[in-house]
Amino acid sequence: MDSLVPTHAPVNSEDTFAVLKTFIEEIIGEDFKDEIDIRRDSSFTADLELDSIEIVAFSEKVKLHFGSKLDFTGWLSNMDLDELIALKLSDVIEYIEACR
Amino acid sequence: MARFAFVVPPLAGHINPTLSLGAGLLAMGHEVGWISPDEGLRVQLPPGGELLLISYDTTDAEKQQGSDYLDAIARKNVYGIESIKFLYEEVLVPLNRYMYDGIVHWLQTYRPDVVINDHQVFAAAVAAIHCGVPYATSVTAPAAIKMREDLPMVHQWETQQMVALQQQLGLPGELSVACSDVLTLVFTSRAFFGEMELPGSYCFVGPVIQHRPAAVAFNWQRFYARAHKTCILVSIGTTFNHEFKKDFFSKVATALKDEPVTAIVVSDPDLLEEWPENFIVERCVPQLQLLPLLNGVVCHAGHNTVCETLLHGLPLVVIPIAYDQSYVAARVAQVQAGVRLNFKRFHAAHIKNAVHEILHNNSYRMAAAAIQSSFEQAGGTAYAARLLEGLATGVVHC
Repeated sequence: MDSLVPTHAPVNSEDTFAVLKTFIEEIIGEDFKDEIDIRRDSSFTADLELDSIEIVAFSEKVKLHFGSKLDFTGWLSNMDLDELIALKLSDVIEYIEACR
Repeated sequence: MARFAFVVPPLAGHINPTLSLGAGLLAMGHEVGWISPDEGLRVQLPPGGELLLISYDTTDAEKQQGSDYLDAIARKNVYGIESIKFLYEEVLVPLNRYMYDGIVHWLQTYRPDVVINDHQVFAAAVAAIHCGVPYATSVTAPAAIKMREDLPMVHQWETQQMVALQQQLGLPGELSVACSDVLTLVFTSRAFFGEMELPGSYCFVGPVIQHRPAAVAFNWQRFYARAHKTCILVSIGTTFNHEFKKDFFSKVATALKDEPVTAIVVSDPDLLEEWPENFIVERCVPQLQLLPLLNGVVCHAGHNTVCETLLHGLPLVVIPIAYDQSYVAARVAQVQAGVRLNFKRFHAAHIKNAVHEILHNNSYRMAAAAIQSSFEQAGGTAYAARLLEGLATGVVHC
């Protein structure tokens, strides 16, 4: 789908991190972004305290931005629940890099 | 005349709809029993309803241990996706294992024509299959179904937990039998549930709240003498522990103490040392009797409280904590019947603004009214009772 092709695809892992950080800031909202330290090794559940629907929202944003180059849902589906609970931002960055 | 047996976990939100449905069936001249491990259910049953108590010989160490799980859900603080792991591993699987023998015993002695299992008591579906009794399913937390689509890996994991127990109970196969493929009653409307393709056996009957007399005392005098006419209910349900409640209600007290509203709070009055003057704090409230008199509700997005609120056309502030509440809250926000806050992040100022917003921006009330009418059209108790009656005579038309 052409509409899903990103106009500013990140070229390295720093850029990928910056894009994902923006997604998380959008999800948690303007009011809170200064209260939460978003780092590469932040975990979605324990550190960022995203609840399940917020993780779904994050996943939607990743799919929309990085488009058809990666099967993000498929990748998540192969995880067991413990892996999903422990999932960190860096895991997502590594996956996106690996799909390049 | 037929005989029906509900199988329920010891969780208020899962029991309440069956009380309305059971009362409906009793009024139609049927016999109705409730299979439960909770003796406390006896006093809640409608007249004529029979408690089929699961209790075991106290010398059986394994079964004794099993009963310890019954209140595990109230003792632990859990949040987000982690709470789903806790729910299955520490509550549902042990609870189902504990209940199974008792369910089989009652199916053999009470001999119901139809079993109605709560979707979280999957052991009852296994027991019904083994005993050759047709079963329908009561879905009191429909967001669990929605998760199949939105978080497929969580759904897969849940199914694995259920199937593993089914196999231990002697039912082979890789598919979960938790939801009946003949009749699965979902206590919401399509409009509130959202888009999803489902088998024809899923019937959206709306919330069922009829035939539930107020069993709790309430200081109506104080309520009618309240200083501010505008009144909201603040409740985070029956399953969260002291620490969560203290944190939550402290923020609510700070947020609303100077607002021109009366807040009816469902809490142990000793939870906070001092409550604001515009707060009425009661351990229990007659929620269904109060709702028609209120202007809005602040809650944890438990499915029953949300549906009961929307059934009265009231807007909400939802602050989900665990389990399926994140989903229910998301639906409230999507249909624009309320404002959603994050439990871990919200400050007093957010709840103050959110309450102000739902009370003064009429669009929330209008959206709530649209869901209210979808609920009224769904058929409710009478329709659901007729579907169950049909199952007893072998005819199901959803």
